[in-house]
Amino acid sequence: MLAGGSAMGALLTPAPWRLIKDASLLSETWPGVPRPKTGTVATRFTNCSLCTAGCAVRARCIGKQPVQLAGVAGHPLSHGALCAYGIAGHHLPYHPDRLKSGAAEEAMAAVSGTIAKCVAGERVAVLDLRPGRTHSWTYRRAMNAVRNGLYLTPERQWRSDSAVDLGAAKVVLSFGTPLLDSWGTPGNVIAARENFRLIQAEAVESRTASMADLWLPVRPGSENALALRIANRLLDSGANSKDLPAGFRERVQMAESVDTGIADEQIRAVAGHLSSGGPALVLAASGSPDILALNLLIGAKGRTIVGRRETPVPEQWKNAAPETELSTVPDGSLRVLLIDESAPGEYVPWSSIERKLAPAAVVVAFAWSRDGYGRHASCVLPTAVYPESLDDVPAAVDSVTAAFRLSTPLMEARAGVVNPAEFVGKLGGVDAAGALRERADAIAKSGRGSVFTYADGKSAPVKQMKSDDFWKALNEGACWMDDRDAKAPLPALHFRERAASPVAIAEERGAAALVSPLMSKVYEESRLRLGKRGVALHPSSGLADGARAMLETDCGRMEVNVTLDSSVPPNVVQAAAGSELSDLCGPSAWAKVVRI
Amino acid sequence: MIRGRVLFVAGMAVTLAAGWAAFPRAIYRRSAQPVNFSHKVHTEKAGQSCEDCHSFREDGSFTGIPSLDKCASCHAAPMGTTAVEKEFIDKYVTPQREPEWRSYAEQPENVWFPHAIHVKRARMKCEACHGNQGTTDTPRVFERDRIGGYPRTTVHAGMPIPLGMNDCVECHRAQGLNHSCLDCHK
Repeated sequence: MLAGGSAMGALLTPAPWRLIKDASLLSETWPGVPRPKTGTVATRFTNCSLCTAGCAVRARCIGKQPVQLAGVAGHPLSHGALCAYGIAGHHLPYHPDRLKSGAAEEAMAAVSGTIAKCVAGERVAVLDLRPGRTHSWTYRRAMNAVRNGLYLTPERQWRSDSAVDLGAAKVVLSFGTPLLDSWGTPGNVIAARENFRLIQAEAVESRTASMADLWLPVRPGSENALALRIANRLLDSGANSKDLPAGFRERVQMAESVDTGIADEQIRAVAGHLSSGGPALVLAASGSPDILALNLLIGAKGRTIVGRRETPVPEQWKNAAPETELSTVPDGSLRVLLIDESAPGEYVPWSSIERKLAPAAVVVAFAWSRDGYGRHASCVLPTAVYPESLDDVPAAVDSVTAAFRLSTPLMEARAGVVNPAEFVGKLGGVDAAGALRERADAIAKSGRGSVFTYADGKSAPVKQMKSDDFWKALNEGACWMDDRDAKAPLPALHFRERAASPVAIAEERGAAALVSPLMSKVYEESRLRLGKRGVALHPSSGLADGARAMLETDCGRMEVNVTLDSSVPPNVVQAAAGSELSDLCGPSAWAKVVRI
Repeated sequence: MIRGRVLFVAGMAVTLAAGWAAFPRAIYRRSAQPVNFSHKVHTEKAGQSCEDCHSFREDGSFTGIPSLDKCASCHAAPMGTTAVEKEFIDKYVTPQREPEWRSYAEQPENVWFPHAIHVKRARMKCEACHGNQGTTDTPRVFERDRIGGYPRTTVHAGMPIPLGMNDCVECHRAQGLNHSCLDCHK
């Protein structure tokens, strides 16, 4: 009875409830869970390197720990915006899946030894997922010095010599490009949004489609035909027909009999918007030549698709290996392949890489986690993670001038990380350590462009600055932007069709293998985005919401979690982007989801 | 039977007393403020308002507890005859030493609380979160939870309580606002 009375009394006091609440705080701070420090807050500036937008970042730091990231107001490119991934970027160094160690010396020995044994026809290559950086030039210089060296890039729709001028566009017709959801520089897209009419042609009502001025729910697989029928209307109204892809006119005629799911009046109306709505632009997620050719018909070259100068480099660097697209390399010819996955970019399906490898090839991946090419490589070496790493961010697709901005570290990288540029540089006798400074000096010497400094929000011409001051400004938070060159040659449109994925991709985040655990939790619990192995199907699929199922393609199979979504058309599978899915789908012709 | 009831009631009484009287004393580590500062004297006699010492800078950030400069701007020399003021001048103003104030409203570093939005845009009164702080004649003892590490922030219905996330969420919901985690936790 004494015990009973005591228990009853205890429950009627704040003590047990307070202890439970305080104990829950302890459960959130196990050893190893990062805790924000306390102390004097200092503001530092850098640029986000999670994608090529390279948005400017203002960081509140306690000592060497960033505790809050935000955009920089008034920035001429990012306009103060920072996406959800960027805002939580400072969580990444603490990600539980982060690679912590790797056998760097053994990897160097294996690579050097294999290079020495290469015979004729066997190549040594670096695959750079984010070309255009200073590290990229280090790779090119090193591969130029290495016997049989190659510098490889993924196929790119937009190269460094061309850009999209969203600010000049009055009409944008997008075939599946996630313009309002992770494309280009988010702040720049938002800033330009009210100036253009967005027509989104997409089978699924994506986030971009739901926010577009007009959504064309094109029948899956008939996107090319829709573009060709629009082209036919433009040709009828006298549009310029020079430089069209081979066989274009024949395909235009054949497309008239294809059911695109879009009424003829609608097609006519869209053609009317493109021809008389002001400067127009057509984007294609697939890179289809037939879709991109619409830009020729509407006179986009020189108006909304502009030429862009390269960011200056030191003269002595120009003796470097040229850029070679991976797809052009003969199958079975790569004896050594080094993949720089440390700067997230286009994820190339492993099957496209594997076919290029020679038997017993040595593949080394430089990565943050094992989720990407680490699943396939002979060896994975851990690299510094944003915001630990020092790198530069090349200009984004929607930056009309060249840009140079440093992603300067806000915190120290942990011991054991490998710098991929230094690793590759050693192979070719190239000193990578001072490369960023050399490039900055080359920019300063060119006298081109201006520098926007984040602390005071001011711009100054580079030619008025000494190179030391320019370098200091870049390190303290600044962005160099080239002058617009009225004489820049009109860019060539690169018609290279990517194999269509049998699965509609819900978002394109490239190869960002790590996302803040908080973001993942927020997104997955709220179902704002499909999770890592999530697929969305129409309710008529026969599967239950939340069911586990198997996604099968002719490349393999993967267990997935099903979400039912009536905005996904019947017989379409929508999935979140990711390395596993990309490996599974590309270049597969079909996909199905079966109950398990 | 009667003995059982007596034991029951005795046990209950002991734990009630322990839980309501002893526990709060045990769970909180107490410390005094460095100066026996009287808000009452400054507001009533000196005619100051909250904003005179706790103000916004030009960039919109909040000064919080004022630095020594603010105090010394009036108290470079004694303005009264109290021993407290004399001690303050001798210990802090003259040697130019910042008092180590303990902030009742201290929040973890992963919390972003902008005074500007709450005061200027939402037009909240200081008392809504800080209670009767501005009318006290002596600062209340600073109490910090030994386990959780949070200070006892404000006084509500005569009881000092810590101002935690649930209090913020409750107020936001009452105002019809919905936010995501990252709006307040950066």
